[in-house]
Amino acid sequence: MLRIVVAILVLVSTLIPHPADAQRRKILNIAAKEPDTLDPHSSTLGQSQAIARFMFRGLTRFAIKDGKVTTAEVEPDLAESWTLSPEGTIWTFKLRKGVQFHKGFGELTAEDVKFSFERQIKKAPGTRYGVNLDVIKSIEVVDPHTVQIALKSYDAIFLLRMVGYQQGYIVSKKAMEKMGDGFKWNPVGTGPFYFERHSPREKIVLKAFDKFPTGRPQIDEVHWFDVPEDATKLIGLEKGTFDLLYPEVVTCDFDDQVRKMGAVMDRRGPGSQERFYLDMTHKPFDDIRVRKAFMHAIDRNAIKETLYCRDLARVATSVVPAGYFGHVPMKFPEYNPELAKKLLAEAGYPNGFTIKPYFISKSFFYPKVLTLAQEQLKKVGINLELQVVEHAAYHDNIRKNLNPFVLYGGTRITDADPWLSLFFESTEIPDPATGNKGTNFAHYKGIDDLLAAGRVERDTKKRAAIYHEVQKRLERDLVCLPLQDVPSQWARNPKRVSTPFDPNYGEYSLHYSYNYPELLKILN
Amino acid sequence: MINYALRRLLVAVPMLLGAMSIVFFAMRILPGDPCMAMMGDQATSGALADCSRNLGLNRPLAVQYVDYLWKSVRFDFGSSFRQGYPVSEYIGRMFPHTLVLVLASAVVAALVGIPIGIVSALKRRSPLVDYPLRIFALLGLSMPVFWLGILLLIVFSLRLDLFPLIGGGDLDGALAMLRSGEAFLYPRDFLAAVGDVLWHLALPALALGFTLAATVSRLSRSAMLEVISQDYIRTARSKGQSERAVVYKHALRNMMVPLLTIIGLFVAVALTGTVLTETVFTRPGLGKMLVDAIGARDYPLAQGAITVFTMIIIAVNLVVDLLYAVVDPRITYR
Repeated sequence: MLRIVVAILVLVSTLIPHPADAQRRKILNIAAKEPDTLDPHSSTLGQSQAIARFMFRGLTRFAIKDGKVTTAEVEPDLAESWTLSPEGTIWTFKLRKGVQFHKGFGELTAEDVKFSFERQIKKAPGTRYGVNLDVIKSIEVVDPHTVQIALKSYDAIFLLRMVGYQQGYIVSKKAMEKMGDGFKWNPVGTGPFYFERHSPREKIVLKAFDKFPTGRPQIDEVHWFDVPEDATKLIGLEKGTFDLLYPEVVTCDFDDQVRKMGAVMDRRGPGSQERFYLDMTHKPFDDIRVRKAFMHAIDRNAIKETLYCRDLARVATSVVPAGYFGHVPMKFPEYNPELAKKLLAEAGYPNGFTIKPYFISKSFFYPKVLTLAQEQLKKVGINLELQVVEHAAYHDNIRKNLNPFVLYGGTRITDADPWLSLFFESTEIPDPATGNKGTNFAHYKGIDDLLAAGRVERDTKKRAAIYHEVQKRLERDLVCLPLQDVPSQWARNPKRVSTPFDPNYGEYSLHYSYNYPELLKILN
Repeated sequence: MINYALRRLLVAVPMLLGAMSIVFFAMRILPGDPCMAMMGDQATSGALADCSRNLGLNRPLAVQYVDYLWKSVRFDFGSSFRQGYPVSEYIGRMFPHTLVLVLASAVVAALVGIPIGIVSALKRRSPLVDYPLRIFALLGLSMPVFWLGILLLIVFSLRLDLFPLIGGGDLDGALAMLRSGEAFLYPRDFLAAVGDVLWHLALPALALGFTLAATVSRLSRSAMLEVISQDYIRTARSKGQSERAVVYKHALRNMMVPLLTIIGLFVAVALTGTVLTETVFTRPGLGKMLVDAIGARDYPLAQGAITVFTMIIIAVNLVVDLLYAVVDPRITYR
């Protein structure tokens, strides 16, 4: 028996793959969750958007200024130049010549650009971002390298919409027509890496694209492993199995472990803002004194320091996050539980009140933030009887208005208009009766006029002033308490992989990933 | 026996139908909308409506149910909501990973559990043999597979660097070589792929096998205790047969019927165990796929996976029932 066991072990040990081959090729190993699709227009999940940036590009890209990537400005990418008609509704883009699609699908033309946007505007099954292109009236191919886009009205953020991100990615028309639904797992773009294969629930392999316009990336292959557990990701980073980690949530403990093993956190702004919306149509938050009391009861610094110690996040300064156009610092009621109690008594709640049940997602930051807030609210007499539910159920429940105040987080195009429109415009008030599943959880109707004015204003300073006024009204009406701005963070083994940008906010990005994965380098 | 098997298969049809109906309605009773699960905090009202229409979720429940059953009869389980792959193709790719894990852990459980159970029964109440072995079994029963799995990973993968941290190895490659016949043309490459699979399989099979071995050892101990108290064992001993002959010739053969029952149970327990094992070891497989599918409200994938699980359990129980007659000629089927 023992002999058989020894013989099996010897046989297995001779068959174990030798690492020399892997070392010859420069392979970047990433631990993240598995994307749900590789069609860049079809997923809102962070991991899907992150991997899309490796394979796809847009007409514009976030600019590199003074060695930093900024989301405030754009620069040419697949388009080499553009012009805007005097009335501000017709954009003409000149495409860069000679840009090739992966896998022999030919040169990028204006037809591909038209197709990429029209499939979303026409809401092809599975596409998610057509709403961001609703401003487009028509798209015309002028010649193979010129495309003209007519808008329904002037759009101040149109060039931001054209960034290689979500709706802005350009796909190959030929490939999409040839593959149909198969495009989801056989994507063809113009990015620095092309799709090689997918082993479901295991990994996705991308390879360096020789014909990438700015040259072949130094990394030969990207192996994107499906690793849902952060604990496993950390073990893999320490062991050397992974070079980059895309964590589900970065806590102090996670950061401590990363530091301990000599790895670094790459922080990209503006990231996601975590915040409370107070439903002003829902008792008792229909009374502004109760909303104020709630805000006085929340110690934002304590929540931030407990969850995101050191520089893992910044206490939010406005409902429009820093890094977004139109941001201006706001004032919020400071932490003062005594004052909170007094306000509650004035509002008719001398003994506080109980919210039962209060639904909270079991995923991401939600349970962590909420349990801290629960303790703080309890001190002023606001008791929450928590019911932890799955993430999907949580999203369902908050759109049925089952929580009188809502914890929410997210990232959007870095401009006040789309951000404020989604979270504070009256058309976005969720209503189970009409089926509206919008995200104006405060049920706020106080800034519709300003949002409409901001959309047609072409003067940048005046636009900014409009959004400053919006923030003043929100400050007055106390319907939203932003907690912290949490950057998008990946852990990196600096002995294995380098990035040209400063790990600490050297990049601003919306991709949940590196803006320029082609600039990552394997060091040994 | 053929008539019996056919009757059992006919009985399996309503069982399967029941399981499929339960999972269909259970998935829909669960709070949480599939589109919301897919889009999360970036969901907009318009995108949710489009998504619901595209997935056919805006149709009446009865229509969805009839459509599901009708397609299932033709082995069309639809496509995964989340990833778009046809469910049958997806399950076909995941099933081999789960199968090898269950088989490997069965080998570990049998090699460890059955001898322990037998020795423990034969040396009943021996402070030096029975008690330590029973403590060992208790340890296995009380040690959750996810905890043991993490322990094995830290020791053998992280510290000693003997085994990989994640993955299922090149099973797809090995199977493709078998299908195309390349396994015989390039035996070295094929063996390398098999070696890679075994290398990735070692720790998960140990973790799951060890926890299952505890159950197996306790059940085989009781089975053996029952057998060795029978008259024919006493007769064999009184005839002067050696203890070895008594155990191997008389006791072990008669222990096979309860042991087969254990194996039937084992498959159900092992399939449940794969859910945690595949998650801890980040292996592809049906268990992990099922958990993810339920979490993501991926109705077709969850329904397909549970249907397959049910079919496996029905098939194993049928085979076990049929094997009773093989190991015990006194059993006949009518």
